Amino acid sequence: MPKVTINGTEIEVEKGTTILRAAAQAGYEVPHFCYHPALSIPANCRMCLVEVEGSWKLQPSCYSQVSDGMVVNTKSERVIKAQKAVLEFILINHPVDCPICDQAGECKLQDYYMAYDAQESRLRTEKTAKVKVFPIGPEVLYDGERCILCTRCVRFCEEITGTNELTIIQRGDAAEIRPFPGRSLDNPYSVCTADICPVGALTSRDFRFKCRVWLLSSTDSVCTGCSNGCNIHLEHFRNEVQRYRPRFNPDVNDYWMCDAGRLTYKAIHTDRLTRPMSNGAELNWHGVSGTAADKLGRAIEDKGTFGFVVSPQASCEDLFLARRFAKEVLGTERIYVGGNPDGFEDDFLIKADKNPNTRGLQTIFGHEGELRDFGALIDDIESGAVTSLYMMETQIPVATEESARFVSALDKLDLFVLQAQHHGELSTKAHIALPACSHAETEGTFVNFDGIAQEFDRAFAPLGESLPHWQIFMRLARAMNHKLTYTFVHQIRKEMFEDSAATEEASQTPAE
Amino acid sequence: MANVNVKVIDREPQSLWEKSYIPEIIRGLAVTTGHFFRNLNPSKEKRTTFTRNYPEEPTIYPERYRGLHRLMLRDDGQVRCVACMCCSTICPADCIHIEAAEHDDPTIEKYPSVFVIDELRCIVCGLCVEACPCDAIRMDSGVHIPPYGERNEAFYDRDLLMSMGGRSQAVQGGKR
Repeated sequence: MPKVTINGTEIEVEKGTTILRAAAQAGYEVPHFCYHPALSIPANCRMCLVEVEGSWKLQPSCYSQVSDGMVVNTKSERVIKAQKAVLEFILINHPVDCPICDQAGECKLQDYYMAYDAQESRLRTEKTAKVKVFPIGPEVLYDGERCILCTRCVRFCEEITGTNELTIIQRGDAAEIRPFPGRSLDNPYSVCTADICPVGALTSRDFRFKCRVWLLSSTDSVCTGCSNGCNIHLEHFRNEVQRYRPRFNPDVNDYWMCDAGRLTYKAIHTDRLTRPMSNGAELNWHGVSGTAADKLGRAIEDKGTFGFVVSPQASCEDLFLARRFAKEVLGTERIYVGGNPDGFEDDFLIKADKNPNTRGLQTIFGHEGELRDFGALIDDIESGAVTSLYMMETQIPVATEESARFVSALDKLDLFVLQAQHHGELSTKAHIALPACSHAETEGTFVNFDGIAQEFDRAFAPLGESLPHWQIFMRLARAMNHKLTYTFVHQIRKEMFEDSAATEEASQTPAE
Repeated sequence: MANVNVKVIDREPQSLWEKSYIPEIIRGLAVTTGHFFRNLNPSKEKRTTFTRNYPEEPTIYPERYRGLHRLMLRDDGQVRCVACMCCSTICPADCIHIEAAEHDDPTIEKYPSVFVIDELRCIVCGLCVEACPCDAIRMDSGVHIPPYGERNEAFYDRDLLMSMGGRSQAVQGGKR
């Protein structure tokens, strides 16, 4: 293994490591724009130049590999001069419209200017005017003046999605990124180009002017859009999710996530059920647990007609308590599976199963006999085999005409208890509707399609009077004189892992 | 612990004259009564009082007095502010609420569709003016915050703040 000396620090790295990576291992940051660990290396921005002893010219550190005995200086006078020159060159035609730029605050050009340049502009002529707010795709906007032509977006479309929409047109100071004639940046991962853009040239249309990035707080979470479970930074401001940003996890999603998944945060703040309801009247939790306990107690007496719908939208901990609640409190064997119907699928990240925790649900209920199909529930209600129903979440995994059949069949029920995030057709039909909170407001674990158990953290307090699913189960159990007591999610998690060897096996591969 | 220089001060014990209480009280009252009669003097200059009959006798504010906010205008009368949120970010009292939007005019990319300052919450520190990159907000109106009958009256919205504004000498968007 070659030994290199970087700024006086000797370090042994693997053969074929680039100087930039070796410097990072030695603890020195080398500034760079065009280099991205997941993409090929064009070495066109010239920001990462370093001095290598014995070579006459400065070397691009993102591209040059280390050799044994190499002596590198990343902070010499020549390097500092080159970094200043590169930044000055990039800033010649940069509009410096940071006040109206969405990237301000997470912009590499801004950061590097403060760290490596910090000099006044010497430009005395007018800047070149280029295209502003160009709709390069349905989800992404392009600003030609801010663009530094690092070609990260072009390489992303070539190498990651393989859709090849983008290219550079013109030359010199007129050069711009454009889609090929007749194309637009409309692949299902297009917003990733806005993520990897080091400046504000490509910006997300959804996040446009919504919130300044320095105001955002970030929580490690998992996307609930499909069973792939992409790791995300859930970014929120004042108890409101502002956007999802992919979080690096080589086992699951690498640096990327899909556009559809990014927009799933909107469901957290639309049509939320915020107060417990009983027959359309708003109650408090104390009142509703009494009413619910009373009604559930009477319904349990009709043995064998109690249906329970569990949702793969809920976390493992919630489902674990759902199982205990169904078995110990309600004593029912009829457990049906809800959740979203299957949808679009590709061979990269997007999975057909649009529920984040199908594997977790199967593991938790796996050794408890058969889980029943949702279609069977509709038949059972219509035939009268199920007269009382307890349902988690409002998603229904059947086609539109079938779901209409389900909704009309609900009128036959003697008791319908719904425990869900959202208002809607089902909550108006429910005799008792209990507000549950979303994955942003509680913590838990999702098991993705591959069996990787991934924890997500709580970002902010539950909206309105909603509660996590597991707390609702505990409340109702207490009102019905059953012992079901936990204080923290990690207690449930521990018991769940002890209980289910299969889940433990799945959690062997730790999430990042 | 670090060394602390302690200076011991000798307290003089009260004399018998002071301990007897009554004469010192009379001396204090004499000072108060002296001030009282001095301020009854018909000639204003000879009075020593610092209170004023506001608003009949308004105070003359110093030149750099920070009064009510105002929003400056572009040459065509539109709001200069580009909704960069620098003022609302720096505001220690968290009293500025801005919602950004896209303007119909293609030369203006971003503008505040909502701009509300809660003047009751404002602590008049002037940091918003310092933070503004485009001379859009100023506190040089010279008017101090009036008393409000209701909470809502203290919410100054964009149009009200613009009605107090004027044209700025600075070039919009900086020099190109």
